[in-house]
Amino acid sequence: MSVHKEMTLVTERTSFQELDNVVFKPTESKPTIKWYISMGISLFALSLGVVSLGYTFYYGIGMWGNNNPVGWGFDIINFVFWIGIGHAGTLISAILYLFRQKWRTGIARFAEAMTIFAVMTAGIFPLIHVGRPWLAGYLFPYPNQHNVWVNFNSPLLWDVFAVSTYFLVSFLFWGLGLIPDIANLRERTTSGIKKFFYTILSFGWRNSNRHWQHYEKAYLILAGLSTPLVLSVHTIVSFDFAVSVLPGWHTTIFPPYFVAGAVFSGFGMVATVLIILRKVFDLEHIITKGHLDKMAKILLATGTMVGYAYGMEFFMAWYSGNTFEQFVFINRAFGPYSWSYWIMVACNVGFPQLFWFKKVRNSIPMMMAIVILVNVGMWFERFVIIVTSLHRDFLPASWGMYAPTMYDIGIFIGSFGMFFTLVLLFVRVMPSISLTELKAVLPGSQPSHHHHE
Amino acid sequence: MKKLPGKFGTIAALLLVAGVVLIALGFFADKQRAFFNYIIMYSFIVSIAVGSLGIVALEYMTDAQWSTPFRRISEFLSFGIPFLLLLAIPIVFGIHDLYHWSHKEAVEADPILQGKAPYLNEGFFIIRLFAMIVLWLIFYILIIRNSEKQDETKEYKLLTRNVKISIGFAPVLMISLTITAIDLIMSLEPHWFSTIFGVYYFAGSAVAALSAMVFLSVSLKENGYLASELTDKQFHSMSTLLFGMNVFWAYIAFSQFLLIWYADIPEETFWLQHRIHGSWGVVSLALLFIHFVIPFLILLPGRMKENRLTLKTMAIWLLFAHFLDLYWLVMPNLNKESAFFSWNEIGSLLFIAGFFMLVFKFKADRTNLTPIGDPKLEQAVGLHLHPDISID
Amino acid sequence: MLKKLKEKFVEIDGDLRLEERSNEIYGVTAVFETPDAVIEAAKKVADSGYEKWDVNTPFPIHGMDDAMKLKPTKLGYATFTFGTIGALSALAMIAYMSGFDYKNIIGGKPFFALPPSIPITFELTILLAALFTIIFTLVVFNKLPKMNHPLMDTDYMRRVSSEAFGIFISAEDKKFNPDEVIGMLKSLGSSSVNLVYKFATDEDKIKTPIFKPAFLGILAGTAVLTAVLTYIILNYAIYTVPFDWMTNQPKLNPQKMSTLFADGFGMRTPVEGTVARGFKPYESYGKPDSLIRIISNPMPFTKEVFELGKKKYDTYCSPCHGNYGKADSRLNGQFPNPPTLHSDKIRNWKDANIYHVIVNGQNIMPSYAKQINENERWAIVHYIRALQRSQNALDSDIPVDGNKK
Repeated sequence: MSVHKEMTLVTERTSFQELDNVVFKPTESKPTIKWYISMGISLFALSLGVVSLGYTFYYGIGMWGNNNPVGWGFDIINFVFWIGIGHAGTLISAILYLFRQKWRTGIARFAEAMTIFAVMTAGIFPLIHVGRPWLAGYLFPYPNQHNVWVNFNSPLLWDVFAVSTYFLVSFLFWGLGLIPDIANLRERTTSGIKKFFYTILSFGWRNSNRHWQHYEKAYLILAGLSTPLVLSVHTIVSFDFAVSVLPGWHTTIFPPYFVAGAVFSGFGMVATVLIILRKVFDLEHIITKGHLDKMAKILLATGTMVGYAYGMEFFMAWYSGNTFEQFVFINRAFGPYSWSYWIMVACNVGFPQLFWFKKVRNSIPMMMAIVILVNVGMWFERFVIIVTSLHRDFLPASWGMYAPTMYDIGIFIGSFGMFFTLVLLFVRVMPSISLTELKAVLPGSQPSHHHHE
Repeated sequence: MKKLPGKFGTIAALLLVAGVVLIALGFFADKQRAFFNYIIMYSFIVSIAVGSLGIVALEYMTDAQWSTPFRRISEFLSFGIPFLLLLAIPIVFGIHDLYHWSHKEAVEADPILQGKAPYLNEGFFIIRLFAMIVLWLIFYILIIRNSEKQDETKEYKLLTRNVKISIGFAPVLMISLTITAIDLIMSLEPHWFSTIFGVYYFAGSAVAALSAMVFLSVSLKENGYLASELTDKQFHSMSTLLFGMNVFWAYIAFSQFLLIWYADIPEETFWLQHRIHGSWGVVSLALLFIHFVIPFLILLPGRMKENRLTLKTMAIWLLFAHFLDLYWLVMPNLNKESAFFSWNEIGSLLFIAGFFMLVFKFKADRTNLTPIGDPKLEQAVGLHLHPDISID
Repeated sequence: MLKKLKEKFVEIDGDLRLEERSNEIYGVTAVFETPDAVIEAAKKVADSGYEKWDVNTPFPIHGMDDAMKLKPTKLGYATFTFGTIGALSALAMIAYMSGFDYKNIIGGKPFFALPPSIPITFELTILLAALFTIIFTLVVFNKLPKMNHPLMDTDYMRRVSSEAFGIFISAEDKKFNPDEVIGMLKSLGSSSVNLVYKFATDEDKIKTPIFKPAFLGILAGTAVLTAVLTYIILNYAIYTVPFDWMTNQPKLNPQKMSTLFADGFGMRTPVEGTVARGFKPYESYGKPDSLIRIISNPMPFTKEVFELGKKKYDTYCSPCHGNYGKADSRLNGQFPNPPTLHSDKIRNWKDANIYHVIVNGQNIMPSYAKQINENERWAIVHYIRALQRSQNALDSDIPVDGNKK
């Protein structure tokens, strides 16, 4: 009888010590030229964003393309886009953990970090859209001098709570995972100053089994808490649209559809960055083709789910017999913004179907091309939902068109700059692979009477 | 391998006959009401039979090992699929009693129904009804044949072949259950629409099929029909999945409710209106507690997920909850004013119990209760799990 | 200069490296090479009756908790408790704030209803549960942070942080006997057994890195800098050129003078005769001060009325007139200055005059008839009277020897 094989986690057989050396290498050596080039590009993009934002703050958000029928433009599109990117991290760290998918260990830490950075990037957009970001404190219910409370019936306030909770819990989860690895760094380092910081960041962790006992349980509980949390975040983002009465926004499938889309776009982004990262930091034997293969399968599954939602929306618009509903969808597919609709359908439902073929999943250039298309497609999904539903509503007299200005585009590019700057800094100063988790699932790392390999 | 006792079959047959008698009496008493009851029963049987095939496919797709020793239970339950061909026939005769859109004069007076006529018409409805069953049957035969063949040949390639078939089955399952939900249940109120409805029925079916599997696994294990190596840990995984699926159902149900409640537009709200007022309001509240709140609180502690008695009780409880869910979806369309229960419902429940017991017995007498040829089985039995999620 | 800085850096670096050790034994450590060896050894140590000992591994080993005979963790209770607290406090907060304290009609929804409260309730449940799970794990159960432990900075810790598995038996254990322990650990198959010594200074007296003055100084400095910067930005920077673009916009403001309209107001008023829902028409509306009919304040002098008056005053009047009616609000200086409410003119006014100004507006002040209803206006009048009295108290207002009025 042939033995059922699981995916190999690390392709080259390495000792724990060698594994440490590989993973800690970026934190213990001078940056390479490849890193400087990447950082330069990111900082350039970031500075474009800063300049555009400066103009926006100086002259006001009239600098943007938002206009009367389309009151929500790039700002909300980018917000939803970046929040969505974050979801893959939590999915990998929490849901796949609960499903005991061992392959997640190699990419979990990195994906979690991406979650945090993506949520940070996303958070900028609602803040700048309020026009006076320094007054954002009013978003939280605190006893202010005018005896006024926030509006608890508004999904935008739910967003405030959901996004802050999501950021905090993801950050804590990530930080908890880092503790043992930082303790490992603390014991390795010879520099007193580094040791000082590592000691503080590791809380003085000393790998005691009496501590591991609670730690493992905490990790599991946090995974259990993060799973519904991640569903709730994009659900609440979808409520921003779906509780309205606007055709194209108000449809009951929005919550699960947004969640599936978020996971889809998140995996697209994680895959994009990982493909580059494993090359830049020589981690090809830890982040293997096997990982990419699994991610391609998840992309295929979630992409198809998103396709189901597109189909369902279209069918129900027809089935509803409501002329306004029907018009919105006809207008989406054949109106002035039909190009964006077909980009969305092709990139999100069409191209991922190529992942049915093993050859495509195993080819790095093909994979790279498709995941970039997925990112593009998911950005356009939000564009389609927001712009096409708003620009032609019930009253033809108030129809209009939307076009972003160069400041919109500058801020959008800047958001990528910010995200990648943070990612690049992260891989320099922190272990970007969870050694504790990776070691724990390698063959031979657990007592043999528990394993039947 | 131990065989199920003959008594089991006798009881099953008795239940089935009692169910048939009660249902037949129902048709004599009030034909329309009996047809509405029949729709509930048919949707419930589809939930279990097709949902079970979905669970089998899910195991193949995700490469799960822990559930391999239990896979046969779901496989046996999905043997209900071939009988759907027979069970669907009464619906054909009940179209006029059930569906407002099937009356020509109603359609002529109603421009909205005219717009829907290309989809909601008798011919296409019947074609879809049977086409879905044929689709399920094809995948049933493909998957189960490979699985059973593996018991003898022990070939590895049968596993990989089934993985591929299962992946193909996933989108088919999603779409076919959506069509079933729209046709059988949503179109009972032909003016109403909700894009999430397919997902709602899908989630409910998953809960029901899992509950059936959990109930049978625990009962079979207690009576010594399953491998002795199976420990509390496996049952723990199983109940975690059930727990998670039930939370997913609640999530979908809440999403649908909140969006309709909040937007409050007449095209949608009328459907909820008569369900949250009057005695139907009590049923809605009961559904919230029976389907979600109570099982959630009971299954939350890790200890409870391993307690066999709790598991068995909650599995039966959730099966009942799914029945109530379908009742809540279907029956208010017949009588919007107030909720009503009577012996008609008991007939359906008896029939469902008897039907699945017989189906299970038939397969169990002819096939191994454990997929002994599956290479994953070895890993499954020696599985070590993470410490459990629990509050203790 | 640069060289000096570098020297200083090296000095600090050296200071932070190692803590000196004494000759007193802290415990015995033993390193094992495989997980099987360490779990077997742990079972033996637990069976031998040691209590103050530990296993150190680079990652959790399955089955070790049983081998060490540890009781199951009680962490789940903390999660559940604080999750419940989160849910209940969120519901209480929403019910109080939007259902009771600040009722506002939004989209025709009830002031407080369960369905739209669920998202925030859920988020706060998760937030509190997660936060306290981590606090309980690290602080309550694991007694961390512990920044200086004798096991740190040893070869033993270096190895068990990375690739080996170790057992540590403390000298504080009742059964502890160095030779016996070393012998036992060697016989269990340890590849290296070592003694660990205590710190030269008393463990409690060593300052944890966090409390070192340099670190605290940096923290305090950052805090002060942030506070000062925030204060300057929010109070001065955004009101000076060029950052005052928000205050000086070339557009018509409801609160500004305007030459566009004949009445000189930027704000437009509804068509004459418009009556807001729930509001009674006011007979003296639009009349000059001298022609109004004097009516007396119908509201009783009760605590509730004064509280209502204060609440409405704080919301609608205080932004210009200041919290105590002294015309000292934040807007002072950026806007035509509002008058104080403590002038003789206003003090000598009848209640109806103040009421009239609230309904009718005066000079630059617009009408508040649509925001504040009749009872609330009279309550505000009472409150203004109370404010005036407080600023011009008579000797007789001061209670004498507990003879409070």
